[in-house]
Amino acid sequence: MNIWDSLIITPFINVLLFIYNLIGQNFGIAIILFTLLIRLVTHPLMVKQIKGAQGMQDLQKNEKWIKTQEKYKGDKEKLAQEQMALYKELGINPFSSCLPTLIQLPIIFGLYQAVIYAMATTPIDLLNLVRHIYPGLLKVETLIPLNNRFLWMDLSQPERLNIPGLEFGIPVMVVIVVLTTYIQGKLVQPPSTNAKDQTAAMSGMMNLYMPIFMGYLAYTLASGLALYFVASNLVGIAQYAMLGKVNWANVFPFLKKKEEKAAKGKTKLLKAK
Amino acid sequence: MNKRKFNLISIVILAAVLLTACSSGLSGSSWPGITTNGDTFYVANMAQVYAIRATDGSQVWRFPEKPTRTMYFAAPVLVENQLIVGDYQKTLQSLNPATGSVNWTFVAKGPWIASPLVVDSTIFAPNGDGNLYALDLSGNQLWKFTAEKALWSRPVGNGDTIYQASMDHNIYALDMTSGSVKWTKNLGGAVIYSPTLSDDGMLYVATMARELIALSTKNGEILWQRKFEESLWSQPALHEDTLFFGDLGGKAYGINRLNGKDIWVQSLTDPVTGEPTVTEDSVIFATENGTLAALSFTGERKWTETVTGKLYNGPVQFEDKLLVGVALGESPLVLKTNSGQNIWSFIAPK
Repeated sequence: MNIWDSLIITPFINVLLFIYNLIGQNFGIAIILFTLLIRLVTHPLMVKQIKGAQGMQDLQKNEKWIKTQEKYKGDKEKLAQEQMALYKELGINPFSSCLPTLIQLPIIFGLYQAVIYAMATTPIDLLNLVRHIYPGLLKVETLIPLNNRFLWMDLSQPERLNIPGLEFGIPVMVVIVVLTTYIQGKLVQPPSTNAKDQTAAMSGMMNLYMPIFMGYLAYTLASGLALYFVASNLVGIAQYAMLGKVNWANVFPFLKKKEEKAAKGKTKLLKAK
Repeated sequence: MNKRKFNLISIVILAAVLLTACSSGLSGSSWPGITTNGDTFYVANMAQVYAIRATDGSQVWRFPEKPTRTMYFAAPVLVENQLIVGDYQKTLQSLNPATGSVNWTFVAKGPWIASPLVVDSTIFAPNGDGNLYALDLSGNQLWKFTAEKALWSRPVGNGDTIYQASMDHNIYALDMTSGSVKWTKNLGGAVIYSPTLSDDGMLYVATMARELIALSTKNGEILWQRKFEESLWSQPALHEDTLFFGDLGGKAYGINRLNGKDIWVQSLTDPVTGEPTVTEDSVIFATENGTLAALSFTGERKWTETVTGKLYNGPVQFEDKLLVGVALGESPLVLKTNSGQNIWSFIAPK
């Protein structure tokens, strides 16, 4: 077993299966709770990441920063030096947004791999799963076979809802994955005041590609992973909402109009005063 | 292309590769299942079934011509000029052994992990959907028996009864003609490999509870059961009154089939998998790390050979030679002498 397996995958598999056992052997609920648990554990990192990103965003509007950019446009070395000095002066760590992301990434991949391992659908998969179980914590004989049924799904197989009369199954989870991925992307997208803002354009493209990509994965892979994607998206939305970083107007345009009306009203009132 | 767009697309592609690489939903490997009619070897491996000439290891045909998304775990079975093989995508097929053309197909709801058993003119095919299907030789369903969980283990038959072990921890004795249950016994753990049947009506079965259990075919009464320290991923092989099998801790055992007590224990170091092969004068154990170890019936080591790849079953005997199915190796099938020397290795032509 390699370091990745020993430090990330194996503990994750055991926690996932421990939850599964604890709640009466329902693998669907176990995936949801496990996702929630991991998201809660990594929540402080997420907060740091958001704060760091916000700091960097605010910096773009800082007068000193704008002037420095203008002044040393032609001298990259000097510009870098001045930027570093400014970071120090304003107490901003330029890595504060990407470092927590880098720490979170292996955890997210570990979570994802743990779900795959635990859904062992072939004898070799099962052999590998058994090797990852801590015998002191869990008993293989009571765990195996895992109960992969959740609602209408076999979590070890790609999901299709069969409706009597229809010759083909409807991939309901794919639709939910695409929708929740799209909504999450839209909700956390910060409002852009600059029409030429490249970051906004990039996140706009990401919001388009990611739901399609995640939908493709959900269509082709075991539905347990689709369930994990949905749980992860919903928990992510909840986390951003708790931190007040959700822009509902991005998803519900009527809210934008309301906000604009309210803003206009305020301006008029101020002018009248 | 705008640099930012390029970066974004690169990130998406990288994420796609990372996610799909560790997650096909299907294991990256199956293991080769082998059967032979004397002139030709039939090997179901990964996504294809191969017919291979016994004389030189050249390919006669393969099915399907190009790999599909499916995989084969179950060894093919030959019966009355039919080659019966089930795949992971729920389809059981009868192929023409001479040409590889399809005679008929039968579709279940789950994957075919275990080989079917054919008795007289009935095919008993266990499926991952928990059903044991009884089919005639034209693929028509005669009856089905439903267990509580998947069936990954090949049934064994005796007289008018068929014995099917299941992932649901039970072993079922079923009437061959109707599929009605004669008796059921809970074994306390899931069963992956087949039970072994003795001539005097005893069943020996290894479970995922790390137990080897001996039970009577008459009523399922347990005569003895023995717990091991390591997991058992092995089907016992029977020779006279000795059962041979191994564990994942690397031990090979010869135990008395009447009381379950050790006759000898030999350390092979690597995890022992599958059913050992009993030859005229030795028993050959396969290990997951690719070692074939031939021991005498009293446990002395005779020879050891290693293949590149993993072994999940003992070799198949063919005349005085050994056919070795290799998973994740350079060749899925190696023909060896009975002392472990290579004769030829099959490499699938492109």
